[in-house]
Amino acid sequence: MRNVIERLLNLLAFLLTVERPVDADEIRRTVAGYADKTDDAFHRMFERDKKQLKELGVPLELRYIDVWEIDQGYVVDPDQYGIADPELTDEERAALALAANVVRVGGQPAGPEALFKLGGLAWQGGGAPLGADLGGDIEGAVELFDAIRSRRRIRFTYHGSKRRLDPYTIARRRGHWYLLGRTDGEIKVFRVDRISGIVAGEEGAFERPTDFDPSIELDLHPWEGGPDPEQTATVRFDPEVAWWAARILKEPHEPGETLETTMRVGHRDAFVGFITSFGPDAEVVAPPELRDMVIDRVRGALGE
Amino acid sequence: MTTSRTAARLSRILSMIPWLIANEGATVDEVCSRFGYTEGNLVRDINTVMVCGLPGYGPGDLMYAYIDGDEVGVEMADYFANAPRPTAAEALTMLASALTVAGSGLGNPALDSAIEKLSAALLPETESGIDIDTGAQPEFVGPLTKAASSHHTATIVHTGLADGVRKERVVEPWSVFSSLGNWYMTGWCRLAEGERVFRIDRINSVVVNDETFDPPETTPEPEVHYTPSEDDVHATIDLKPGARWVLDYYPVDVIEEYATKTRIRFAASEPGVAARLLLRLGSNATLVEGTEVREAVEELGRAILTRYGA
Repeated sequence: MRNVIERLLNLLAFLLTVERPVDADEIRRTVAGYADKTDDAFHRMFERDKKQLKELGVPLELRYIDVWEIDQGYVVDPDQYGIADPELTDEERAALALAANVVRVGGQPAGPEALFKLGGLAWQGGGAPLGADLGGDIEGAVELFDAIRSRRRIRFTYHGSKRRLDPYTIARRRGHWYLLGRTDGEIKVFRVDRISGIVAGEEGAFERPTDFDPSIELDLHPWEGGPDPEQTATVRFDPEVAWWAARILKEPHEPGETLETTMRVGHRDAFVGFITSFGPDAEVVAPPELRDMVIDRVRGALGE
Repeated sequence: MTTSRTAARLSRILSMIPWLIANEGATVDEVCSRFGYTEGNLVRDINTVMVCGLPGYGPGDLMYAYIDGDEVGVEMADYFANAPRPTAAEALTMLASALTVAGSGLGNPALDSAIEKLSAALLPETESGIDIDTGAQPEFVGPLTKAASSHHTATIVHTGLADGVRKERVVEPWSVFSSLGNWYMTGWCRLAEGERVFRIDRINSVVVNDETFDPPETTPEPEVHYTPSEDDVHATIDLKPGARWVLDYYPVDVIEEYATKTRIRFAASEPGVAARLLLRLGSNATLVEGTEVREAVEELGRAILTRYGA
């Protein structure tokens, strides 16, 4: 492995200093580590090396060497490659290291490489008694996050249909990643794990509104936003479950008392599901058609 | 999240060089603790760096890297003066982790200012490109986490999700974690005499006691898992497409997938858990097998219909 590391360091040093696109032949002749290889061996080796650099985050690009746009060569833009030292204090790096240690990504804690790039670790503690899991769908989130950062318009498949979107924000709610963006003048929300076949376009393809607030779309209760005409329901929760309903609905509540309140309903199906899960300890007082929907739901479950 | 060993090693070297350039006179100990090196591996990597450089590869072209007594240094490496920019995966994971902890109410001012600096460095012009809400219930997350780190027992009042029964329990809290949008505490429950996972928003009150306990050497992975036991109630349920969301929110086994339905196996400690789910799903789900669950659905369902006068 020592030879590989040496060759990659030499290759990167060359690309960062050469200040013009260079083709594979020139790299082969110039950079230490590629000499004395057959054509085939060189090409295999060079392909692997390019892959390693990209995995590391090195912005290795192909550009035309000449004004006639015939031959292409490799370029690494030093400004794109490096990150200016964010000048984190020891306390800040310790706080980040702790956060990286307690949050798992698909069951695994994140590696330390990102922190090394930001000036190294400042915390050597063991496991903290706090954990959070960012879920297994992080892979898709990464691709979308990259598109958001570089403002690339994307195309993808969602529930079998083709979509295109200016991606604005990636958000995490209730254990899932969501993508928010604009399409045909409207803000839309997508669940990341149901998105497939992402194709990203050119960098800087759209302007992102500076006052965009994702929580307006995301922080509704499931029964609030939805396909149905908006209506208000009056609901009663018995004392044994009232504290729990009050917590979910963020209503004031005295222990041991019944909670009677109104709920905004834009998604009747979700509303009926929510109320029914309280069993006989909750009741829709009005309107009658929502009461009937609860009765139908229960009859459905009883097979009637 | 660098996947290959070569890339991980290279990444660490390219992160260390800028720091050594900026911090002349750094000691071996300092570099080892900051970049997670053993002394042997640091020597190995410094020896690698000193034979690399620019074409020509003579004394004036190679980087000058050395370990002199206690001191480590790299010179003549201006082209590596900045660390590589974090990849999209690294940036997202780092920011998401920091925002998760900050959103839990367990952050501190240092974490907040770190997030500000990171966002500026990693997210040019897109300040709200990422938004994390862990659905925190800071009211009890804080005290239970503190009890877990100082190994103090806690007396909690908890209301079971299945039966709505409220019980006072003395617990030995091991860890607090967030999963699928809810916060949980895992620990030893003295009332149940077993390992238990409690949803923190189902906890009505918490008192941290003076008594301490000896935590187990290794605590279980923080995840919401259901540990099957012999006393379990089982149900086989067919879900229509409109009820497939259940797979995302409940730990179930998928037995078979058909075009129009998904057959799952559901295990729980109480029939009430499955019964409430079935009532919620209405005609979108069919109970195929499970006598106790069927009885519970009947009982709860009839009680609801009675209340509605239907």
